[in-house]
Amino acid sequence: MKLTRVSSWLLVKRVAIAGILVVVLLVPQLFSTFFASSIGVQSLVLGIAAASIIFLNAVVGMVSLAQTALYGVAAYTTAKLAVDLGVDPWLAALVAVGVTVVVALLFGAVASRSEGIYFLMITLASAVITYYFFSQVTAFGSHEGINGVTPPALLGKPFVDPTGMYYGALISSVLIYLLVRYLRRTPFGYALQGVRDESIRMRALGFNVPLLRTAAFAVGAFIAAIGGVLLVWYNSSISPGTIDLTRTIDLLTIAVIGGLGRLEGAWLGALLFTVIQTYSPRYTDRFETLIGLVFLAVVLTSPGGIAGIAGSLDRWVQRRLAGRTA
Amino acid sequence: MAASPPDARALRVRGLSCRFGGVKAVSNVDLDVAGGERRAILGPNGAGKTTLFNLLFGEIFPSAGQVEVFGQDVTLIPARKRIKLGLTRTYQTSRLFPLLSVAENIYVAVLGAEGGHLRPLRLHRDDEFRARAQGIASRVGLSDRLDIVVGSLSHGEQRQLEVALALAGKPRIMMLDEPAAGLSPAERGSLTDLLLSLDPAVTLLVVEHDMDVALRVAQRVTVMHEGRVVAEGTPAEIRGNQLVHDLYLGRPRGSAEEPHARR
Amino acid sequence: MIPRRIRAELAHRFAGGLALLVLVVAVAWVLARAFGVVGGTANVPLFIVVTLNGLTLAALYFIVASGFTLIFGLMRVVNMAHGSLYLLGGYIGLRLVEHRVNYWLALVLAALAIGVVGLVMQQVFLRWNQGQDLRQALITIAISVVLADQMIPTFGAAAVAIKAPDGLNSAVRFGLYDIRYPTFRLVVLGLAVLIGVSLWYGIQHTRFGMIIRAGVDDRAMTSALGVNVQAVLAVTFFVGALLAGLGGVLGGTMIALAPGQDASFLLSSLVVVIVGGMGSLAGALFGALALGLVAQLSGVYLPAGYTNFSILLTFALLVFVLAVRPIGLFGRR
Repeated sequence: MKLTRVSSWLLVKRVAIAGILVVVLLVPQLFSTFFASSIGVQSLVLGIAAASIIFLNAVVGMVSLAQTALYGVAAYTTAKLAVDLGVDPWLAALVAVGVTVVVALLFGAVASRSEGIYFLMITLASAVITYYFFSQVTAFGSHEGINGVTPPALLGKPFVDPTGMYYGALISSVLIYLLVRYLRRTPFGYALQGVRDESIRMRALGFNVPLLRTAAFAVGAFIAAIGGVLLVWYNSSISPGTIDLTRTIDLLTIAVIGGLGRLEGAWLGALLFTVIQTYSPRYTDRFETLIGLVFLAVVLTSPGGIAGIAGSLDRWVQRRLAGRTA
Repeated sequence: MAASPPDARALRVRGLSCRFGGVKAVSNVDLDVAGGERRAILGPNGAGKTTLFNLLFGEIFPSAGQVEVFGQDVTLIPARKRIKLGLTRTYQTSRLFPLLSVAENIYVAVLGAEGGHLRPLRLHRDDEFRARAQGIASRVGLSDRLDIVVGSLSHGEQRQLEVALALAGKPRIMMLDEPAAGLSPAERGSLTDLLLSLDPAVTLLVVEHDMDVALRVAQRVTVMHEGRVVAEGTPAEIRGNQLVHDLYLGRPRGSAEEPHARR
Repeated sequence: MIPRRIRAELAHRFAGGLALLVLVVAVAWVLARAFGVVGGTANVPLFIVVTLNGLTLAALYFIVASGFTLIFGLMRVVNMAHGSLYLLGGYIGLRLVEHRVNYWLALVLAALAIGVVGLVMQQVFLRWNQGQDLRQALITIAISVVLADQMIPTFGAAAVAIKAPDGLNSAVRFGLYDIRYPTFRLVVLGLAVLIGVSLWYGIQHTRFGMIIRAGVDDRAMTSALGVNVQAVLAVTFFVGALLAGLGGVLGGTMIALAPGQDASFLLSSLVVVIVGGMGSLAGALFGALALGLVAQLSGVYLPAGYTNFSILLTFALLVFVLAVRPIGLFGRR
């Protein structure tokens, strides 16, 4: 009796998730161009960027506010190469990701000896400095930024037909999700989780903790960079306003609302954020206040975010069903 | 005073001191531990035993003094390199990986000793490491708890796992910081048996507050008080030592005899 | 007297020596440019003015950052809303002055108002989750977002400045090179010194200050000693926020008020504390001086064509301190 109820629930759950995945797969076919583009692509791209935050927090225990700045570096590098130097988009993207990872390695080398709240502060300071850098340096267009970035032909024109862009972002998201899940079970992944939980023990066991943190930061930068490249292709432009303090906090908000401890939360949070951002102007001018309040509510009541709530709910249901024996 | 054994010295410490602000946590400590010896370090709380361990393991640096392991000066070598020297340790409060299982905890310890920490690929070596982890789990009596997550283990089992982590590095010197902390009498018995069954070639340094476990396992005992070594000898000698007796039973300070270093 | 710490010592000395070398080269470069030894004609008056700009900016940074470090040092709360409190204080001061309130009175009232805002924030949102550093940081971030967004419709998005009190809104003439320098900025410098001395005295020589110092070192112990830690925390947050608000009014007079200033002063507070060390007043002073001078001098003395990269020098300062001494120049573990 007990087993049947729980396994029915699991079945229902799996069917529901499968259904959602099918919908996700067919968004460009099922929804309007506007929806697919504004909600679909944006959620996926922001989700990738948020995934870099969640990866670093969930796997390594590092809360980084530098991820927005990093995807800015990738976006600007792509834009600069493509527009000013006429480089092929794919090559520009490759170089951009490489540059971002190198920047992260250099930065990580100094920042990795700081932990916890210190690390948060340092990454935040660096993010704001990066914003100032891009808004002051004329080579990057100062406040105007860089316009006229065309995505590769394969991905099409995002606002005319977002299908290509959508599937590009979807495939990237899936690959990144799978990559992180795979990494967790490798020696590197285990080492990172050890550093997250007991860095002193890890040191005594022979692990080089700062090196591991730096390497993890580089992986996070890789993920953020992919998000940045997709972003600049989607928007056809990049400006400092995309990586200012408000956007930095927005990305953190997405990660927290989605669930800082669960990778799926990145895209869940991004979806919720994008939906609120797209539809709230009908009701209020003050989107940031709204999202700030949602953020505050989540932090005060349910730090696990949407993914956390879903997980708790699932476990609660299973316990209730399992408890109903004759 | 009993002379140190003439064979290869696993550990040789001279004049080790460490201060925190105005307090001398460890003061001018000398130590000679032979290869394969079982040495207990006793002393009341605040005697500096754990600080001594941290110094020996390179987790803090001394303000003066020297530490040699098998003839090599290791005083300033950072903690993470100690495992390569054959040193492992446990902690007074268990430092385990709470979300991982017993097998995974030991696997991480084996990984630490073997290297390749940045490896993003799962290879055949990992299967070997996991097999080794299982073997070590059996050694400490946890073979039936391999897949249990640390959070679900009893306190006694967690202390066993602590010892397992120290075994993973195929150590030449194991430093155990109060391994019996918080254990029930029965658990203390199992732990003592475990310690007694360890490879006799491995040098064992055991800090303990509890005299019973320490004196059963040890061949020689060093007693510390307020950062200094105040007595050293065989368990029988220490049991009969009036000064040590007073320290543990807490004779009032400022009484006729003050503790002084004895060799 | 410390034997055998050769490797560690060498590394430390090398890093320290490198830092010193960089500092010496930088100072030499600036002086050379200023006095015309290198690249173009001498312009000593410019040098003096720019240095004064750096010092007065440092004064403002110090006032704001001292509040930040007080809160951070004692409570481990990274008050991300500190920049928002700065800006809000400035706007409140602006409104008061616009309504013909005496400048100094407005200054005090605005500072007190922000102190109260900070106190309320601490009591409502931070009192019950002490020790949860990340959670508290997230809470203050959320508050900063809401505050920042609400200030825009309330006070507008245009940059505005507070009118300095009569008598202080002109310039002082120095005999040297016949330089004229805004009086108010010098007043801010003086106020910073006054505040610094008062804080130092308060922390070193009063019982309350002793409790704060003990708390910075070991919160658990201080609490175990039966001190009314809650009261101390509340007062500390009040004072910290008050300093931010005070800085806001002064900064609003000295520079301007606009959306974005909150980010700017949050950044400066972060940098000052990272460079100077957590919970250290001396660190805040040092950090503020370093930041103010580097920011101003680099804007002028970098090789021509590269002045728009001046922010990188601020970053270099940050990275440098992190590489040499991660806990900050005056930080203690």
